[in-house]
Amino acid sequence: MKGFLEYIPGDSILHRLDPRTKLLMPLILCLACFAADSILLLFVILLFDVALGYLGGIGKQTLRTLSKLARIMLFLFVLQILFIQRGETLIPLIAGLRITDEGLRTAALVALRLIAATMPLATLLSLTKLDELADSLVVRCHVPYKYAYGVTAAIRFIPEFSRQMSEIIEAQTARGVEFDTKNPFRRIAMVIPLCVPLLISSVRKIDGTAMAAELRGFNLRGRHNIRCTSRFGLSDGVGILVCLALAVAGVLL
Amino acid sequence: MITLEKVCFGYGKNETLRDVNLHIGKGDFCAIIGANGAGKSTLTRLMRGLLRPTSGRVLIDGQDIAAARPSTLAAKIGYLFQNPDRQLCRNTVREELLFTLQYAGIPADRRDALCDAALERFSLDGDGDTACMSRGERQRTALASALAAEPPLLLLDEPTTGLDYSECTAIMERIAEMNERGVTVVMVCHDMEIVLDFAKTCVVVADGQVLGEGTPADIFYNQPLLKRASLIPPQLIELASRFGGEVGRPTHAEDFAAIIREKRSQK
Repeated sequence: MKGFLEYIPGDSILHRLDPRTKLLMPLILCLACFAADSILLLFVILLFDVALGYLGGIGKQTLRTLSKLARIMLFLFVLQILFIQRGETLIPLIAGLRITDEGLRTAALVALRLIAATMPLATLLSLTKLDELADSLVVRCHVPYKYAYGVTAAIRFIPEFSRQMSEIIEAQTARGVEFDTKNPFRRIAMVIPLCVPLLISSVRKIDGTAMAAELRGFNLRGRHNIRCTSRFGLSDGVGILVCLALAVAGVLL
Repeated sequence: MITLEKVCFGYGKNETLRDVNLHIGKGDFCAIIGANGAGKSTLTRLMRGLLRPTSGRVLIDGQDIAAARPSTLAAKIGYLFQNPDRQLCRNTVREELLFTLQYAGIPADRRDALCDAALERFSLDGDGDTACMSRGERQRTALASALAAEPPLLLLDEPTTGLDYSECTAIMERIAEMNERGVTVVMVCHDMEIVLDFAKTCVVVADGQVLGEGTPADIFYNQPLLKRASLIPPQLIELASRFGGEVGRPTHAEDFAAIIREKRSQK
């Protein structure tokens, strides 16, 4: 199974989009989410995010990401409800706290906004070869070579670190550390000491990767060494237009 | 000690293990051998309870471990991962061993004694910084940590990978010593020389199935079995096999030399 942000090969219309489009679309959708003040529109954007996943042939993975984000946002949702005490009381709680109509609406807006804004980047990066993205950024967008590859290398390390963390958790479980407890707060407290092995192995890995790149002449490469074949096409235009339409709706609604 | 009954397991749609039946007795030193991707590590992770079989049962001392939380088995089973960096999460070797002992549920008044015993057994400096040690020292620390609570069963996933000859021998001798004291050892290993020198029994795994079981001599002199599992026997056995049974089935260089000497004196 592929990890978060790991490239999933395929031949869907989204795989064939220009890498720049696949960066621009999430950016516009993100702006649309933050501009929108309508729960309905945020739902529409969220549906569009899921549709993108299915269009790219990674429907199940998109739903899995959605479910994970929803679990995190549930926590934020509850916090928002408890902190926003303005508006009419819907349900009185203990210690003078209450659930208000305004608290409920703001909490829903924040949670939906964050989910809908995060998902497209995760989906579209999973459908983009990072080398093609870096090449496109260097050749077409004139981003300096080192920065473009630095960013894509950082993205490439995210699934790697996530896998390492899973392995470390498994190793610690084997030693008796109760990561298999059902109490989420205990689990979170136990993750903190694990940052040490993760940090050590990450620094070793990054150091090794940087050295390997140097040995293969990373510093000698530049824009002139890159052959970038990506071009904007009709599907790129359509994708960007749909996202722009959602952004305009976000501003208006 | 460990029994696997019709165990099947898969990662997603890929079936990694199919209908595995296996029994490893108490006090055994069993080597699991096979090509890369054969399912050896998956087998040890199932034995440790880190993975749950899709069907079948894994029994430790007759108890099905399906219902047990993996962390509760720590006092019973020591596990050494291939990469020691996954295990080491404390600043010094002593803190590392005490951490294991604490989570294995060892009472606080016994921890220091057990920790000192493990440090001595594995020739480790308790104040050594785990982040600055060599690969061999880190591996020894991880092994000392896996054995600190003196569990009756030890699972090792390629314990000698990336170690030089002296570190490799040092680690294997400690493991053999623990086995002589009664600890059951199950070891995944790619080094057939080590398997021949240390293991009492062998399990050959290929394509998610157990192809054969027996003593190292039984396994390494079975050429068709080795061929099916894409394995090459140790050089001594390869050489002895070339004589076509003329020199018997020696498993050590001294035995082989003795047979040759005897043959020469007969002539």
